[in-house]
Amino acid sequence: MLASWTRLPFQVILLLLSSTGINTKEAPETPGSPVVPGEPVRRSVVLKGKSHVEYVEVLKPVTYELQCTWTGTESKLPNITGFWKRNEGEIENSHVAVPLENNQYNLKREFSIVGDETLGNYSCVFDGVAKIDFIFAVPQMGEVHDKPIVSYVGDSVVLACKMEDTKPTPVTWHWYKPNGTDKALINSSLEHRYKITNDQKKTKLVVLGVEQSDSGMYYCGAVYEVGTSVSHTELRVISFMEPLKPFIAIVIEVIILVVLILLYEKSSKITPGDTDDGTNTEQTNQLTQGENSETSIRQRKV
Amino acid sequence: MTKANPQPVAQRVEPQGPDGGYGWVMVGAMFFSYMLVFGVIRSLGVFFVAFVEYFEESAQAISWISSIGLAAVQFFSPLGTALCNAYGARPVVMAGGCLTGLGLILASQAKCLIHLYLTMGVITGMGWALVFTPMMATVMRCFTHRRSLAVSLGSTGSGIACFISTPLFQLLLDTYSWRGSLLILGGLSLNLVACGALIRPQGGSKTKTIQESKSSCSAFLWKVYSYLELSLLFERPFVTYCVAVTLLNTGYFIPYIHLVAHARQVGLSEYQAAFVISATGVTDIVGRVLSGWSADLGRVRLIHWHTLWTSLTGVVIVMLPVATLGGSYAGLVVFSLAYGFCAAALSPIIITVVPQIIGMDRMVGGLGLLMIIESIGALLGAPLSGFLKDYTGSYLTSFVLAGSFLLLGALVITTLPHFFSRTDPPPPRKCSTDGKKEAESAESGLMDNPAPNPDKLYPLETISYSETLPSCAETLPDQNHSLCS
Repeated sequence: MLASWTRLPFQVILLLLSSTGINTKEAPETPGSPVVPGEPVRRSVVLKGKSHVEYVEVLKPVTYELQCTWTGTESKLPNITGFWKRNEGEIENSHVAVPLENNQYNLKREFSIVGDETLGNYSCVFDGVAKIDFIFAVPQMGEVHDKPIVSYVGDSVVLACKMEDTKPTPVTWHWYKPNGTDKALINSSLEHRYKITNDQKKTKLVVLGVEQSDSGMYYCGAVYEVGTSVSHTELRVISFMEPLKPFIAIVIEVIILVVLILLYEKSSKITPGDTDDGTNTEQTNQLTQGENSETSIRQRKV
Repeated sequence: MTKANPQPVAQRVEPQGPDGGYGWVMVGAMFFSYMLVFGVIRSLGVFFVAFVEYFEESAQAISWISSIGLAAVQFFSPLGTALCNAYGARPVVMAGGCLTGLGLILASQAKCLIHLYLTMGVITGMGWALVFTPMMATVMRCFTHRRSLAVSLGSTGSGIACFISTPLFQLLLDTYSWRGSLLILGGLSLNLVACGALIRPQGGSKTKTIQESKSSCSAFLWKVYSYLELSLLFERPFVTYCVAVTLLNTGYFIPYIHLVAHARQVGLSEYQAAFVISATGVTDIVGRVLSGWSADLGRVRLIHWHTLWTSLTGVVIVMLPVATLGGSYAGLVVFSLAYGFCAAALSPIIITVVPQIIGMDRMVGGLGLLMIIESIGALLGAPLSGFLKDYTGSYLTSFVLAGSFLLLGALVITTLPHFFSRTDPPPPRKCSTDGKKEAESAESGLMDNPAPNPDKLYPLETISYSETLPSCAETLPDQNHSLCS
């Protein structure tokens, strides 16, 4: 292959890039390797208890060398068996005898992570009791719209997906629309009803002229070299009749209230001519007051 | 002998509300209408994100919707009060309810942001203006001794709306998206029509004041001048009061707007700040009702309460950034609650002082004018504090400035005439003696002395603040009687 001195600055950059997302327990990391699975990336985990889970974010095809170290139980047997599992299935011919070295048991194995199928859960198991899980996955999107997005027939709707700022930028974005029970890739150049706008860590799907059949689960995929991370949004299409029903109910309630209030007023009128011409009311009231005071004057005089 | 007499005279000298009975129905109507008005205003915050996503516009463009709406409420207030003077409160509030509903229903069909500005901003704002001030004026007319309590109870509707509206609107948004939610909100706002229907119709208040005039044009102009109560602009007490309230308003809203941002800047979490804001909702209600009740006890003059609460609020605002300086959560909580309390205590007093300065007969128009003038303060306050924040890097200066505006407003209040007297001065009367009816002159002819209660009755010749106008709104006592009993 190429001489390592040409790859040194490259490795330094990759080290800086990869050190942001990875969280190892104790052992320091060796520099990451470039695209071709040449030099493997070492991930070491020391297990003190019974189990541990390690999340590994993968962007590009890489070869990983996983190192599991177990401190053992009180009874430190000189020899135990260890094996590797992949996605809950034992990897064939992975059983090895693990000797006790420096009061620890060590298991080591290399895995090539090259595509979607190779992602998953890799575990090393000691003595059938202690387990360390390495979960290889593409960067996952954090926020998921658990509430369905509601839209109206004939309207347009915007569905959006976002990769967190701390996670690496995907190569591109794909959108999938519901197709029966499965999903179908949306090609915006073929179907002009859909408009896809990709902007680094954000993507937007605009559906124009929404119909009832457009309801369902839409998937957005952040595409990386090694795989796609998928998030979903549900779209619910309703007709305008739905909010119209409570609206009409409220309007009827208002009309009934107003009519009731006006009727009550008319029926329980004590002072005459309230709603009639204002000036008449004035004069009538003034006159009645005048009369009252006049009568009272007369009374006082008497 | 004299028992039967003082009452009719008292009614004619100072229009007194019956202080009870149907007046409390009016308070209830005010409560519900404020709940509907402020509830929808607050909903604009819930719809914010939905609008940003749908219209793909910036946050600033979306926030213009609420700015236009609020500006419309204050700007169209004089229109509301003028129409109230012309046609009575009932048709105006009912029309306002229809307008608000119409604006929101149209907004649900909006295809672009401009539609929202026009419908949700202008039309709905105008509708709110036609409801807000006339409703307040109606309640004020129905009460005399319990005026502050009635106004504060009615305005607690806005505080309750704060609690109910956010979860309710979120639910609506999740079920029907913003279009359906606006439609339903429009329907809910139509309930304002029912609130308006509760207002008893009154006789034409100012129609009698318009006398036969030379031409219809000058009659119209005279009508406008009279309905808008523009004569108030030439009177020193009213102008002083407007200046004071404008200064007050400049500083009043700044904590509401910048409190969360300041708390975040000092290092507190979003949830802590948001919790404090909702906690001030409780002190808001408590402060409002307590202030209204204690003001009505009559021990301290309303205007002195006004100065007290204004100064307290100013001091609290100045202390706020100092208390949160070290990132102290306790300091933030204490002073925010104090701010919520004092600011809420101040708001009913601002309104109920008005009839004491300009008299009950011109109160309606005066309120409208006050609203539009004080809006200048509100408009200037927020951008000014934002500018200071950008210039100095922290909110400290803007809070201190806000507090000083309030203290300055309190100072200006002290320049009102009769400020330092222990009892209330006679309220100004527009009527001159030649406007009286025969019944009055007969009464006064018989009596040598008015009743011995100097606080309640005033010599008929008193014309304290204003010039006399050739007409007199002597029909007011009767209006109050038919309105509120």
